[in-house]
Amino acid sequence: MTIVGQTESTMPAATPPHTLGELFLGFLSIGARSFGGVLPAAHHVMVEQRRWLTPEDFTETVGLCQVLPGPNIGNAAIVLGKRWHGLRGAIVAFLGLFALPYLWVLALALLYTRAAERPLVSAAVAGVGASGAGLFMATAVKLGRPIVRKPAAAALMAGCFVAVAIGRVPLFVVMPIAVIVGLYCSWRRML
Amino acid sequence: MTLIELGLYFALLSLLTFGGLSSVIPEMQRYIVDVKGWTTAADFMHLFAVAQAAPGPNVLFTSLIGYRIAGVAGSLVALLGLCVPAAVLTWVVGSLWERCGDSPWRGVIRRALAPLVVGLTFAAAYIIATPHSPDWRLWLIALATAAGTLRTRVSPLWLLAGGAVLGGLLL
Repeated sequence: MTIVGQTESTMPAATPPHTLGELFLGFLSIGARSFGGVLPAAHHVMVEQRRWLTPEDFTETVGLCQVLPGPNIGNAAIVLGKRWHGLRGAIVAFLGLFALPYLWVLALALLYTRAAERPLVSAAVAGVGASGAGLFMATAVKLGRPIVRKPAAAALMAGCFVAVAIGRVPLFVVMPIAVIVGLYCSWRRML
Repeated sequence: MTLIELGLYFALLSLLTFGGLSSVIPEMQRYIVDVKGWTTAADFMHLFAVAQAAPGPNVLFTSLIGYRIAGVAGSLVALLGLCVPAAVLTWVVGSLWERCGDSPWRGVIRRALAPLVVGLTFAAAYIIATPHSPDWRLWLIALATAAGTLRTRVSPLWLLAGGAVLGGLLL
């Protein structure tokens, strides 16, 4: 206990949160720090600060959550809460994660509703919206760059985009078809 | 009645949110603006912007949509509707997935989903930056932000602030 500085480098073993309260506070702090990205905040709190997880564990858990539907970090709260404290852990982690951001976003919405009449505010908010669309574009480019050379992948990307954005076909129609085609192509090693 | 409809719709949508909320944003807009007429395309975009300016998972955008349609109750119903079914699925599949270790199916599924997520994320960007007919000013802001993200290490918050300034000047 007295030589924390020395043991840091030699003892990578992670210590999960002991109590539900600790779990809640940890996820509360992830939510509070998550300006401009939740995953970096989650990494900071769970791996660096509280050492609940090793970096490998973190990467593995996030990888799982990215394959399943649902908000990635919300899924991570469920998986980790469950691993450490069962059903109660999952619920506590989930509530901790969303509590502060939820209040913050509602407060912002109230402020915005009051100011929305002013043309300048409205224009600036539209600018932020377009900018947010740009962040999505960048994400899509990053994810797409490694796979776009494969014809099947490029066709699936283009097909989903055209059907959903231009054709306005319901996602409940597009997604099942795309998943089946995607699984087939992936299984035949075309992706 | 609206609350039940909202909850059921988001619960169904929850199971399609591969790769995060961005994949289902075009569908949300189609249903909420085009089919139901609960709000306008411009308002949908503005609420998206407000959600971007807040910390936290971007699924909180759904709570803003719910709030606009049915107040605080709507905000909770929409958020939980979008999260709970996926969470239950994660609960069930999570342990299965951890157990099947290095099964080749994991790679097959991951590679199958990647192009869909890319296409749908582009669709979300297009839908949000095109609330009415295409507007070059909104597209310019979007492309500038995308370039800023890909070419520099500037924090996304600064890029969003830049979007606000450009919006105020151009729009």
